[in-house]
Amino acid sequence: MGLVVLGIRHRTDGLKAALRIPVLIFLFSSIASFVLLEIAILTHDFSIAYVANNTSTTTPFLFLFAAGWAALEGSIVLWGLLLAIFTYLVWRQLDKTDGLGVLALAVMGAVSIFWFGLMATAANPFAVCTQSGGDFCLDSSWWPLATAAIPTDGLGPNPLLQNHFLMAVHPPMLYVGYVGFTVPFAFAIAALWRKDSGRAWLDRTHRWSLISWSFLIFGILLGGWWSYEVLGWGGYWAWDPVENAALLPWLAATAFIHSAIVQRKRGMLQAWNFILVITTFALTILGTFLTRSGVIASVHAFSQSTVGPLLLGFLALIVVGSLVLFAVRAQDVAQAPRLDSLSSREGYILANNLILTVFAFTVLFGTLYPLIVQAMSGDEVAVGRPFFDRAAVPLSLLLLLVLGVGCISPWRVATPELLWKRLRAAIAIGLLAGAFAVAVGVDSLSVVITIALAVFVISAIVIRFFEVARQRPEAIGRASAKVFGNDLGYWGGQVSHIGLAFVAIALATTSGLAVRETIAISQGESAVVDGYCIEYIEPFSRTESNRAVQGVRVAVLDSSCSTVKAELEPRINTYEGSAQPIGTPDVWTGFVDDVYIGIAGGTTETIELNVFVFPLQWLLWIGGLIVVLGGVVALGRKPRRRLRTSDDVTAEESGSTNV
Amino acid sequence: MSDRAKNFVAIGVSLFALAFIVVAFSAGARTESTAEERIESLSSAIRCPFCNGESLADSQAGVAADYRALIAERIEAGATDEEIIDEFAANFGDSFILDTSTSAWSIALWLVPVLALLTGGAAVLVIKRGASERESVDG
Repeated sequence: MGLVVLGIRHRTDGLKAALRIPVLIFLFSSIASFVLLEIAILTHDFSIAYVANNTSTTTPFLFLFAAGWAALEGSIVLWGLLLAIFTYLVWRQLDKTDGLGVLALAVMGAVSIFWFGLMATAANPFAVCTQSGGDFCLDSSWWPLATAAIPTDGLGPNPLLQNHFLMAVHPPMLYVGYVGFTVPFAFAIAALWRKDSGRAWLDRTHRWSLISWSFLIFGILLGGWWSYEVLGWGGYWAWDPVENAALLPWLAATAFIHSAIVQRKRGMLQAWNFILVITTFALTILGTFLTRSGVIASVHAFSQSTVGPLLLGFLALIVVGSLVLFAVRAQDVAQAPRLDSLSSREGYILANNLILTVFAFTVLFGTLYPLIVQAMSGDEVAVGRPFFDRAAVPLSLLLLLVLGVGCISPWRVATPELLWKRLRAAIAIGLLAGAFAVAVGVDSLSVVITIALAVFVISAIVIRFFEVARQRPEAIGRASAKVFGNDLGYWGGQVSHIGLAFVAIALATTSGLAVRETIAISQGESAVVDGYCIEYIEPFSRTESNRAVQGVRVAVLDSSCSTVKAELEPRINTYEGSAQPIGTPDVWTGFVDDVYIGIAGGTTETIELNVFVFPLQWLLWIGGLIVVLGGVVALGRKPRRRLRTSDDVTAEESGSTNV
Repeated sequence: MSDRAKNFVAIGVSLFALAFIVVAFSAGARTESTAEERIESLSSAIRCPFCNGESLADSQAGVAADYRALIAERIEAGATDEEIIDEFAANFGDSFILDTSTSAWSIALWLVPVLALLTGGAAVLVIKRGASERESVDG
């Protein structure tokens, strides 16, 4: 279990070669600890407390494997592994005499010392079980040679965590996103330390930011999908503190990616970029703290332990340390802004940054508000969906508007005449889409406004694309490919924007136009909900290795109950070692609507079903994937004006970042 | 199509669509929300006791269903939304009311983000002013 082999490697301003040994030791010890933990889990070594308390002999393989990161200690092992891999990749890209890179590596080293310290002390995944509680571990010791008391079987994962395969993939995606922001943060701190006011740190971390950003939003998307498929209330987002914890760094990172463009193109916002990247990193730590400390009631409160205070201390250290460094260096790195006009690409990006940071701040403030109030007065208040929805909707609509105008604006100055010329068709199409929505019966004003704005954004981008393509001499197909390929950074961004507009539409329709009914029907009977006929066919039950499944077979038919569209099997699963049964809804996705059916109660004779109809739900998942895809496309942007060594080229070729 | 014709078409279509939306909404305007909508909004504004912080609308626990049924009963009996919220607050405490718009604490909750937006907006304007002033000095 030699996992706590820490590099003494940092602070040595030496050559790349001198860092080889410590970086490799770090990498291999992280891989070893991850592999050892997985071996222990897969071989059911219940003498290890983590294995006993989070897996059992009947857990299916996928969830057994995923248990390697599903609970607190394991998640920190995975975190350390990712950090080690990223450190290794950064090391690979070092130039021969690369002060900035070496210093950034030192910062990453300092961060990893914290994580590995955590792993060795408060959250030791290899703690030996010293007191068996039968099928779980009562007490454990960090001392590897302590006398082990071996439980006969393990407790198994939390039922919610083994109910759907998405739970195995969603957290690692988020972790890649979280850990990835360590790299831009490390380079930013290194640049501040060295008083580098240039864009070197931005150029070198551009891809890291984009990759982390894409993974983070992909992880959030998968989390929403999991919630939709598993939790049974038909929702994908509840403004739960832990969900907010993932959204916050993503909002800050989105602001950062945009303002970084402004610095690269126009040399503005140097100081602001430092602040944003520090904020993003601090928010990832805060997110981990909120997830793992259990300070706020949350559906994600799967694990609570003593890591809370340590994480909080680390967070305070980062925030205070970074801000002090920034304050000392601000004079050296900040340049006077050169803003020609507020109506310009940079002006609109500035507006985007303002909205995104206020958005992030509002979500953060709302999430922490119960704690603040309690600390100040002892009163207990709760802040939930009503507040977040009311705050998020206007900000998001404003963001869409700025997005539509901003992404087709030229740099420096965008005159009203030019904007009108580029946007007039999009305005007309957007309003037509709004009118169409009203015509097909949408009776919610906020949904109509969202649809109009989103279609406006999509048309503005598409129209602009073809305008640019038509100016080329080639035939339109070839010209489109050329235009797109020549500026993958910009057009990748626009792909993400289009995805975001789809997401906005889906968010509005699934929340504003959803129909929710609970029906009670006997076997062979049917009931109509929002134009769908639901028929109860028969009950069924079966026993699987780790759970007992009880469910009902129901048919979804058209409104006249004549044509069967689909058969669904909503179920209730009862897991070993857990009294609380977990409902599993079943969903039929049609051309427009999702019909979502879960068991609400009743008996096998007369079943009570929750029947939800969500219009355009599929657009949320498709739109989200398009957002991620845009991020991946933007990675193809050719890095400009950078000295490359042969080592560098191979590193980029072997990495799969060039898509 | 000439530039002027494009302007004409764009403005025409936009005005037509806008007029359609406005007319449709003012004609079909509803003032009363249905009992179902009220149950929906009330149960998402009240936190379910014993359900890991989920709201009554979100939770699949049996108690949540019972409380939703209770809300439906109270609506049937003619209680207003405020009365129902107050009853839950009296029984479980304020921390179970997710919709804080009725509490004094909510003023600060709303004020701070709005102030942040205003401060940020002002900062952008100051930056812009600074930039143009320097330019006029330079040039």
